Amino acid sequence: MDSIHDLGGKQGFGPVTVTEDEPAFPEAWEGRAYGLVQSVGDPGSTIDWFRHIVELMPPAAYLTEPYFQKWQYVQIIELIQAGKLSMDEVLSGQASKPGDPASKRSLEKVLAIIHDKNHSFERKIDAGPAFVLNQWVRTKRHMTEGHTRLPAYARDSLGDVIAHHGSHALPDAGARGEDVGEHLYTVRFTAAELWGDEANPNDDVTLDLWESYLVPA
Amino acid sequence: MATFDREDAAKLARHLHSHLPSDPALRTKTLESLLVERGFVAPETIDAWVEAYSEHIGPKRGAQVVARSWVDPAFRARLMDDATAAIAEFGFDGDATGHLKAVENTDTQHHLIVCTLCSCYPFSLLGMSPAWYKSAAYRARAVREPRQVLSEFGVDLPETVGVRVWDSTAELRYLVVPQRPANTDGWDEARLAALVTRNAMIGTARHLKTEAA
Repeated sequence: MDSIHDLGGKQGFGPVTVTEDEPAFPEAWEGRAYGLVQSVGDPGSTIDWFRHIVELMPPAAYLTEPYFQKWQYVQIIELIQAGKLSMDEVLSGQASKPGDPASKRSLEKVLAIIHDKNHSFERKIDAGPAFVLNQWVRTKRHMTEGHTRLPAYARDSLGDVIAHHGSHALPDAGARGEDVGEHLYTVRFTAAELWGDEANPNDDVTLDLWESYLVPA
Repeated sequence: MATFDREDAAKLARHLHSHLPSDPALRTKTLESLLVERGFVAPETIDAWVEAYSEHIGPKRGAQVVARSWVDPAFRARLMDDATAAIAEFGFDGDATGHLKAVENTDTQHHLIVCTLCSCYPFSLLGMSPAWYKSAAYRARAVREPRQVLSEFGVDLPETVGVRVWDSTAELRYLVVPQRPANTDGWDEARLAALVTRNAMIGTARHLKTEAA
């Protein structure tokens, strides 16, 4: 969807605030927010629906909310939609009905959970790939109300396939709760193709793109 | 169960934007109290998540992988062929590294990693991402004017060194393998690993410093 999240190439943000080294969670609330999102969610959700909820935030909120507050929006919305929390509870902080204390997870258990999140997104399908290495392809306009992973800056652009990764779960479908496999490629675009005359001729940009985003050039 | 109802999600997001208190620390404290009282989570579990990424999982993992690739040609070949399998030799595989690809800088090629659409990052290998990586400025500009962005990090590239920017639009995650600094012949892996910075493994640093080691 054409929301403000699709930032590639947007101008006017000014310089990057550079840090060389910083703690994992510079502010204490960030660690709490991260841990909460990892601990309490909707097991029926998908990574794509999670990302799409972030994209559905009002633009002003998207640009001003810190990273883990965006995650917290998703967490709250998923829990409300799953019927596990109410908006009244979220805004008042008052539980409608107290529950039995949750069991504690140890550091070792948490480290094991992180290790087990080594998910593969590969999905075996019968269809062979439509494109081969070094083939020229063009991205579609591919404009949709829903979730997609073709950024606006790379629409209707000419590139060449530099890798084929087999078939992976298609995010456009995942955000609707559907598990659909589709061939995935890394496509290289020259900087000049994307950005015009100002680009350095030695530079390029690669994107990982699903087959339905592409047509033969 | 997830409803996947996008109109409803957008409506809820607008309501939260209008009604949540502005202080993120207060919001988070309120939500944690609520989720604890409802019996969804124990505070000690949150402590464990914070400790995992504050003390155990961070860029030192990636640095060990890079250092081994410098001293062990067979490992380097495995890393370039299948980085997910290669980091599993260290037990570093995990969250967001199910499809990891390593890309090596050379004298004529520099690599830079970004996620323009969100902030995808190989957590189990590099830990939490830095604030700049998640910033709108970096996400917007890295693909369009990478050389200017690099110069803000103190990296001034000659025109002849190409820049390849990898936009993490799928579930592939990327590790930049920086070049081994000169004058480090005979250094062991641990000493070499101490040279490798987080920014170098994202591509916003290029020449690693040896004097502090």
